[in-house]
Amino acid sequence: MTDKQNNSIVMSLAAATCTLLGTAPAGPVNAQEDPGWNFNTSLLYYGESDGRVQDASLNLLARRSFADDKSLALTLAVDSLTGASANGATPMDVVQTFTSPSGNATYSTPAGEHPLDGTFLDTRVAISASWQQPLGRLYAVNAGLTASGEWDYTHLGGNIGLSRDFNKRNTTVSIGVAFARDNLDPEGGAPVRFAPMLDVGDLSNKMGSQDKDVVDLLLGVTQVVNRNMLVQFNYSYSDSSGYLNDPYKIISIVDPVTGDTVPRIPTPGVAGPSHEFRFESRPEDRAKHSFYGQGKYYWGGRVLDLSYRYMTDDWEIDSHTLDAKLRFPIGDSSYLEPRVRFYSQTEAEFYRASLNDGDPLPQYASSDYRLGNFDAITAGIKYGWKTGSDNDMSVRLEYYVQDGEVPAEQIIGNQSQRDLYPGLEAIIFNFSYGFGK
Amino acid sequence: MYSKINKIFIVLSAMLLVTACSSMGVEPWERDVLAKAEMQLVTDPVEAGLDDHIYFSKEASSGGRGFGGGGCGCN
Repeated sequence: MTDKQNNSIVMSLAAATCTLLGTAPAGPVNAQEDPGWNFNTSLLYYGESDGRVQDASLNLLARRSFADDKSLALTLAVDSLTGASANGATPMDVVQTFTSPSGNATYSTPAGEHPLDGTFLDTRVAISASWQQPLGRLYAVNAGLTASGEWDYTHLGGNIGLSRDFNKRNTTVSIGVAFARDNLDPEGGAPVRFAPMLDVGDLSNKMGSQDKDVVDLLLGVTQVVNRNMLVQFNYSYSDSSGYLNDPYKIISIVDPVTGDTVPRIPTPGVAGPSHEFRFESRPEDRAKHSFYGQGKYYWGGRVLDLSYRYMTDDWEIDSHTLDAKLRFPIGDSSYLEPRVRFYSQTEAEFYRASLNDGDPLPQYASSDYRLGNFDAITAGIKYGWKTGSDNDMSVRLEYYVQDGEVPAEQIIGNQSQRDLYPGLEAIIFNFSYGFGK
Repeated sequence: MYSKINKIFIVLSAMLLVTACSSMGVEPWERDVLAKAEMQLVTDPVEAGLDDHIYFSKEASSGGRGFGGGGCGCN
């Protein structure tokens, strides 16, 4: 296979998933390509330390290109999730017992440790199909459908987009919109907001399945700067509405002086929580604005990929993401690509480490560490090579660490001696194989 | 609220200014480097999708490059 044909496989796949991701590819990718099938298979392992979440994933992408630059892309992803997840309760100096999400059993956390719910075991299957074709000489249109299912969650979505080239195809302007309807049907039922965690067998704090709708709008500009450099700017707006709570996350009710979680005595003869906990309550709407810029710069065979994203929403979360990759060729047919990503976010307006016993409940509160104040770094390296039959293989190994803190004004009494923020440490391993005609 | 609208307006204007730079760019015969696989904005689309999914599940932000790309019970 010639180098030109091989380039077109990767670019076909890039074009395919540009449409899947909702952006139109830049001008150069609109070149004519031979009809045929291209494939990419990928295995991912994501594993957190301390027996927390582990995910093993298989991903398949198949793309059929037709005459006249039309193409159809199909994807299938299967994820197997195991391990434990922080449930939002604060650590205590004594053993804590919680009712499991199903309401059928309890689980306990040793003294001094972050409470983790280890009852997660889930398989997720996600599929998508998307179509892309030119419209006249300078326009291209894309449309796609997505669907996924897990034990407690289903998603159905559609997207459509349009792009137009300007300035001898040096500038491409894209617009896209996506709709999704998701349904949550958690084990035991979705909790009523702020409902107390109850004894085993008591599901009076749970409701039936709940819906969530998401609308996304994307506006993008891609600009060729010079022979070696390309930039992209995107603005996206996302609006979610419906049941936005995490059905498995709780908040500890604590003594307003000591900061210790208030003990609870279960009904005689029945197992149940050892302390007072309430399920979280989030707003029923969330509007996010994202501003994204990316540049690619080529010099002497090396490629620098630098991107920055600023996100702000009406939950008062602000985040910054800076991602840098540098690809070094090794000989004619392999490369090394180190990568570093910096992430920082401020906490949601309703983030609370705990709620005070006796105080009136706020309208919204969540102890989910993912809505908290934290920084994260990813550092890793990728090695890629051409196989004997001229196909693409790569392996990637990365380390991801999150470290955050609870706002000082929320720390009460004995809580100052405890590690209130669970943080995160994970390994990411990815093997990828791309092949085609 | 109004300062947010102002911020959005400023950024959108900056984006429009960039497109107004129509003197930037290359001739069609100068696209050799830009046509390379490694110079595409999304070089490895499957890897990009996997990363987006990991960070969407573990952080409060999502998207930027494209849409969220399918729902998930993880966040």
